[in-house]
Amino acid sequence: MCRGNVKASSHLRSHSKMGTDCCRLSDVWKLRMLELLALDAHIHRTKNSNFHIQQVPRIQHPKNSWAHAEFDSKNIRLIVYQDCERRGRQVLFDSKAVRKIDETNAQKTSQETTVKTYRNACLVSSNGKYTVSSHSSCSSTPDKKEHLPRYQYIRPASDVNMLGEMMFGSVAMSYKGSTLKIHYIRSPPQLMISKVFSARVNSTSVSTSTLQDSFEVISNESSLGRQCLNQNNLGIFHLYCGRLLPGASDAGQLRFIRSASFFAAHSTPVDMPSRGQEDKDSGIAHSASLSSLLIPSFPSPGSSLSGGSSSSYQRRWLRSQTTSLENGIVPRWYTEETFSMADESCSSNPAIVRRKKIAISVIFSLSEKDDANRHFQDFFFSHFPLFESHMNKLKHAVEKAMISCRKIAESAQRVQFYIGRVMDALGEFRMIVWNLYCAPRITEPVWLSMMSSTSDRNSLCQRFLKEFTLLLEQTSKNQFLAALLTAVLTYHLAWVPTVMPSDHPPVKSFSEKHASKSVDMLAKSHPYNPLWAQLGDLYGAIGSPVRLARTVVVGRRKELVQRILFILTYFIRCSNLQENLLTWGVRTDEGEQVLAGSDITTALEKGEVEESEYVVVTVRNEPALVPPILHQPRSDTRLCSVPESASPKDNPAGVKVRTTHETSIKENCELCIPTSLCLDNPQSDPMEVVSGDIKLCREQNSPQQFVKREIVMNVSKAGPFNIDGFPRSENRFSETELCGESVTRMSQHLAVKSGSLDRASPALPCPKRSSHRSPFVQRVKFQIGSSLSPDSDFESRRRDIDAKMHEFQSQHGSRISSCQKTSMSASLIKRGNFTQDQYEASGVCSTSQRKKTICYSRIPSCEAGASIFDEYFIDSTGDETLLQSGLSSNPCEQFKALNETENYQIKPLPKADRTLHSKHQDKNSSLRTADFCKEKDIMGSIKHAPHSGTEKKVAFPSKKIIPRNVSSDSALGDSDDENGTQEPTPHDTSQQEANSEQIPLPLPRSDVTSQPNETNFGRSLFGGYCSTYLPDFVLHGTRSDEKMKQTLMADLLHTVNHPVLDEPIAESVCIIADTDKWNVQVASSQRSVVDSNKIGQDALISSLVTSLLQSLLQLYKLNLSPVFCMMHLEDQLQEMYLKSKMLSEYLKGHTRVHIKELSEVLGIESSDLPLLAAIASTHSPYVAQILL
Amino acid sequence: MNAIVGLCHFCELHGPRTLFCTEALHAPLPQGAGLGDGLGQGEQAEDEEGGIQMTSRIRSHSPIDGTVDSSSPGPKKSDMCEGCRSLESGHPGYISVDKETSIKYVSHQHPNHPQLFSIVRQACVRSLSCEVCPGREGPIFFGDEQHGFVFSHTFFIKDSLARGFQRWYSIIVIMMDRIYLINSWPFLLGKIRGIIDELQGKALKVFESEQFGCPQRAQRMSTAFTPYLHQRNGNAARSLTSLTNDENLWACLHTSFAWLLKACGSRLTEKLLEGAPTEDTLVQMEKLAELEEESEAWDGSSEEDVKCNTKNDLVEGNKLSKCSTDASLLSECSWNEAPTRSAVFRSLRHMRQVLGASAFHVLAWHVLMGNQVIWRGHDQDLIQSAFDVLKAMLPVGCVRIIPYSDQYEEAYRCNFLGLSPAVQIPPHIASSEFYVLVDVRAATRSNLYPVLFVDDGPLSKYEFVVTSGSPVAVDRGPTILSKIEAALTNENLSVEVVDQCLICLKEEWMNKVKVLFKFTKVDSRPKEDTQKLLSILGAAEEDNVKLLKFWMTGLSKTYKSHLMSTVRSPVSSESRN
Repeated sequence: MCRGNVKASSHLRSHSKMGTDCCRLSDVWKLRMLELLALDAHIHRTKNSNFHIQQVPRIQHPKNSWAHAEFDSKNIRLIVYQDCERRGRQVLFDSKAVRKIDETNAQKTSQETTVKTYRNACLVSSNGKYTVSSHSSCSSTPDKKEHLPRYQYIRPASDVNMLGEMMFGSVAMSYKGSTLKIHYIRSPPQLMISKVFSARVNSTSVSTSTLQDSFEVISNESSLGRQCLNQNNLGIFHLYCGRLLPGASDAGQLRFIRSASFFAAHSTPVDMPSRGQEDKDSGIAHSASLSSLLIPSFPSPGSSLSGGSSSSYQRRWLRSQTTSLENGIVPRWYTEETFSMADESCSSNPAIVRRKKIAISVIFSLSEKDDANRHFQDFFFSHFPLFESHMNKLKHAVEKAMISCRKIAESAQRVQFYIGRVMDALGEFRMIVWNLYCAPRITEPVWLSMMSSTSDRNSLCQRFLKEFTLLLEQTSKNQFLAALLTAVLTYHLAWVPTVMPSDHPPVKSFSEKHASKSVDMLAKSHPYNPLWAQLGDLYGAIGSPVRLARTVVVGRRKELVQRILFILTYFIRCSNLQENLLTWGVRTDEGEQVLAGSDITTALEKGEVEESEYVVVTVRNEPALVPPILHQPRSDTRLCSVPESASPKDNPAGVKVRTTHETSIKENCELCIPTSLCLDNPQSDPMEVVSGDIKLCREQNSPQQFVKREIVMNVSKAGPFNIDGFPRSENRFSETELCGESVTRMSQHLAVKSGSLDRASPALPCPKRSSHRSPFVQRVKFQIGSSLSPDSDFESRRRDIDAKMHEFQSQHGSRISSCQKTSMSASLIKRGNFTQDQYEASGVCSTSQRKKTICYSRIPSCEAGASIFDEYFIDSTGDETLLQSGLSSNPCEQFKALNETENYQIKPLPKADRTLHSKHQDKNSSLRTADFCKEKDIMGSIKHAPHSGTEKKVAFPSKKIIPRNVSSDSALGDSDDENGTQEPTPHDTSQQEANSEQIPLPLPRSDVTSQPNETNFGRSLFGGYCSTYLPDFVLHGTRSDEKMKQTLMADLLHTVNHPVLDEPIAESVCIIADTDKWNVQVASSQRSVVDSNKIGQDALISSLVTSLLQSLLQLYKLNLSPVFCMMHLEDQLQEMYLKSKMLSEYLKGHTRVHIKELSEVLGIESSDLPLLAAIASTHSPYVAQILL
Repeated sequence: MNAIVGLCHFCELHGPRTLFCTEALHAPLPQGAGLGDGLGQGEQAEDEEGGIQMTSRIRSHSPIDGTVDSSSPGPKKSDMCEGCRSLESGHPGYISVDKETSIKYVSHQHPNHPQLFSIVRQACVRSLSCEVCPGREGPIFFGDEQHGFVFSHTFFIKDSLARGFQRWYSIIVIMMDRIYLINSWPFLLGKIRGIIDELQGKALKVFESEQFGCPQRAQRMSTAFTPYLHQRNGNAARSLTSLTNDENLWACLHTSFAWLLKACGSRLTEKLLEGAPTEDTLVQMEKLAELEEESEAWDGSSEEDVKCNTKNDLVEGNKLSKCSTDASLLSECSWNEAPTRSAVFRSLRHMRQVLGASAFHVLAWHVLMGNQVIWRGHDQDLIQSAFDVLKAMLPVGCVRIIPYSDQYEEAYRCNFLGLSPAVQIPPHIASSEFYVLVDVRAATRSNLYPVLFVDDGPLSKYEFVVTSGSPVAVDRGPTILSKIEAALTNENLSVEVVDQCLICLKEEWMNKVKVLFKFTKVDSRPKEDTQKLLSILGAAEEDNVKLLKFWMTGLSKTYKSHLMSTVRSPVSSESRN
């Protein structure tokens, strides 16, 4: 019936064939790239003949991330739904309920089908009587008629009811504009994207009723499908025998309505330096509309940027501002996009508009395989603008089909027409999506590859230049390359910011260009969408007015086309995207991280240096719920917080370091732990291990100096700060002093003293100290920031405390006893008791505990050490870094930090710990009493040391993190002690900054793991040699321009009407380079070509480009090194930029360009003007106004 | 990320309610907007403007005192039950400041901004009672330009006292940038799913313990005939805090939401390249570095000051061409009103007018060729201005100035030399052809200059005599000179255009210099090749070659060392063919 269907289906068929082919294509391409040199040699040999097309053997399994045979375009389903106030919902179309009956295989189909046909009317007679070509342009091929498919409706799918609910929602929305929705259906896995429009129904007397009726189920016409008839049955065209709509004109005239305010938001603050609007006579045909499209210079400091990337910067800044939520929503444009159900010609009476909504949904059935499923989803969501654009196209086609089918009087015919048209559109959509997803890609875009890999740069330069110069020689006579490059440089403008001279010194070597710092900072302070920015870059939409460009290379010689594509990927540029996985870690005051709920894997690894084994710990999956770092009114001392945080069961918070950190962690964290301890795991009896260790300790742990040395080395390794976290002999004195005095004074002392790192006095026997000792015997490397056995960590930590107490006691026993005698305070006595208890109760195991602690506490310090490298802390103030480093490795600093936060809370020991350490009950209890007394101490110290309080906290909120009841479990088990935790202390409220009446909570520290992002446009929109013309790709090659000729103009117009960039587009342009005819043409949405032989206008050849190419070729021939040639090329591009600067300066004072003046001075010729003006439009928006 | 994250609840008594919202507040101006030294400014601006703006916003709408004005968007207290509430009334909310990015994350039960309130409210209603999600739990996206775009994930929380033993919640993310939001779908889904899992986990524990203590189901079965509503009345409004038994839940959610916003906003970053700095920039940076080193060696304590000063100097120097032209513009404009200005050259064009075309040609030729340019006269300002104007013709690296001296300085020390009138030029110099001397003398006649320049009052009292050892220069010259002269001659071209023009020309020729340097100094190619190269570069004429050779001395060390080290060995790269 419809010839178009044949076309579409044959397309589909050919594409599925191409699916197998495309792998081959990419193979070919890859292999070709690999064997380029050999090939080149070959070509050199055959130079005088024409282009040699190499036969390349296939590779069986190419790695092409884009070829996913999994995807079947049949998995795309289209549903059109109507929701009418009066009549409820009807399905107007469901591709799942449409059966195609090809005449040729009609019989077969009918045999297969057991589904009842819905209506007689759908069973179209086979004589082709109702055939209406859906492509009027192709209607001249009558011989295809026999194969035209017929369609019939079958029983609607069972899920349409539900889908309708999803599309429209359960409550009608009064919003008039279009609504976008995406649903994920779990089983079977499907992704549904819907657009809901208000229907714009013609309200003239003729159509009010008939139009509506025509799409609704008319049950009285036929009783055949009655059993299926309900609200959700597929709507069928009413056999409408009334007359056609009067004045029905070509549906092609239909277009979406856009209100006059379409550009309003953009036209307001246009800042035109030195020139007003007086250039009306400058010969700009579109000046009125275009001027409103010029990028307004938002009143931002960015406009004064003299730096390299001002235009990129501007664009991004603007985007972040226009999509800002902060001060309420300002709709950027009012897309009163409606669904036309009637010709515009009769929509004379808009007063009577029925409340009717039309939803168009596309459903992607996803693979059951996780991999394929995720891959498609990643692709879909990252490439959503393109999908949406095609959906708009689809909607347009449905609109058209609905309207134009009404011209057909006979109902069956009309139904066929309608279905045929919609199926055609769906076929087109499927094909485009399939191609978008599966078409061959250029695996190694030159610019992006050069940008990302430094190691390969030399060979890449060489390869590029080989190709380039070879082509240059090939095309020297016809100026093909010069014309192509002129066009590409004129329209794909993103290269301009990459040559704008920067103000900063080069980071590394000279040739390595450097990233724009200002843009980088913008991204941090005002996050925008880098994917969007990249898409704009690729399409060259960075000038003013915004123009969107694509390039297609056409030719039968695949090798040649691919060669050209390869070259162009150097000139069509965009930013490189990186994916950052931010992981948070709660830094406790020791710099350790709270650990729990993580997926921890451990592995033993041979040490590189010593004969020891390393335990490699990998932690995955940080918990999503970030524990807040609360400011508690009560004290929470190290002694109790440590066990708490150490217990994984009680803490969902996680330590998280990705395996990618491996190397850095390796460098930074050379932990020295006895292997025996690390092998210790939760299952084993901790006491056993302890006893096993005792000997070890006894034997080897006596000299503390040994320990010291080890530590210093490690810590200095861990960060830029060489911290001697070790107690020196004089510190010992301070300890004893402490004991002799009130603890209050001690902490005061600490708070004051702790500012200096090397005077760090471990006056408090806080467990952190233990982290600095006893690295001996064997080394254990913690790759990732947690220990293998958190339980034993806790245990060991506990024991370490004991050990320290023990040590402390043994060293200063006399002083302590004297302390007790003086009986400073109850707390102090308690404390003394504690230490003595420890001394008596756990004399032996304490030693080993100390040893074991390293397992735990060293890790976080290393983590934190690594974090010093973290950019997030680099720019912190000196104070901050001090604090930071202290947090990481200095016990006193940590104490100070604790002190500063003023929020300590007594934490009872978590349950798990209690059970685990039942053997140490008495110890635990003594610990607790110690907690209490310490709490009091600290409270006291706070009173005496107000300077260390909240102001610091305000300054560095995120730096102070107190290990806290992070988990539900602990809250569950032990919530009795934590009440009123959210109440700010009087200190807090009184000292808060003016703008924070809110309670300040620090953000957790973040670790960034970066990896190259794969599903970005830079990797996906450089197409290879495709079987057909494709409208999405920034660049691709194809065999012939046949299809392009048909659809190009519509594509260009569509691009302007439905800009993928979500911003107004002034013009859409396609550069077509035909290697068969050796010509380059530029098709534009603004110019329709009169000459039928041409697709667009011939591209100009800029003399600047010509001379650039010539000098490059000559230099290369003179055997200058490829890298240098590339540098020269960049220099020359920079020259172009500078000339455009001059031109823009010149245009400030001139309405007319006197070419002679320019050429005299700068060698600018008239052929250069469009190029230079385009370049200038990226940095000086007013240029367009003058020149266009 | 410029988004609002919220937690919504479908209250059995009150319908959909927003429980908790976290907004990201950004500084009104981008950081580092001024580039380089702009960092401080940006921060300042943020502290002042941003602080004020944000505080005023927060204050004006803050329901803190409990004296919520009638216009305040929040629902009336009577409409709220425990289940509809997150923070207690009077709770100030939470704030987290990301120092690095100066983004503030603020949490309240409702956004304070009235418009945002309704946006969030609408999103909440749509999320919980309009949009349909298959299975009721799961992600969905919806939205439009007017109400913003929403990513919503609905979920149940166990509640032993609720109908069906569960309550319905959703976490929503609202943005105006729909592309950004959709791009972030997989990320958001993962993270939000994680948050939900943990919330559900917590609630499940509570649920189980409650069931253990007092099995509701059995109880309900036993009282099956009592009206349901009546039964649940007492406990209908359980807060999420009690459902999860987590006192710190809201603080926790604040941190989690803030973290989510931060992580999502920095999930993707782009590397955007800029062009290499121009040679002039590089040379200036090198000079700065040298000065720093010197000052370091000098005195450690005053190092900072020196650095600052030199930096400022250089920054000024960097913009000098611009500044000077601006100044000259100004002075030109105000010339008539203030004729008593000191005698200075304002621009090359001005100098050309004063000296006359031919004298200027000779002078410029020597300048470009690197010959020593000596100005001799009383007026130091005048001579300084002459050098400032003339040096614009040369790359920064080629300029060595001794502004004023009482004795002759050798050419290797300076190519611009100012001398007091009494100083004699040594004979070996005077006899050479590698210098040009400009004598600034008092004018003998007032009508020395054409009428055109009558307004050049201060300068008209001088006459300038240009002497040169080299007679060759006059008729021919390097290509760049004729272009410069063309630009200067053409009065249509403004001073700015001429400046840009000079920059272009210099860069163009410096690029040739680079090639020549690479060719001759790095690769040490034979002479024939060099000749070929020069003709490729369009610089085969003698004067051009001379110029290139002189300019080569102005290449930055950075560039040279780079060429020497990395781009070297064409042989090795050739061998890869």
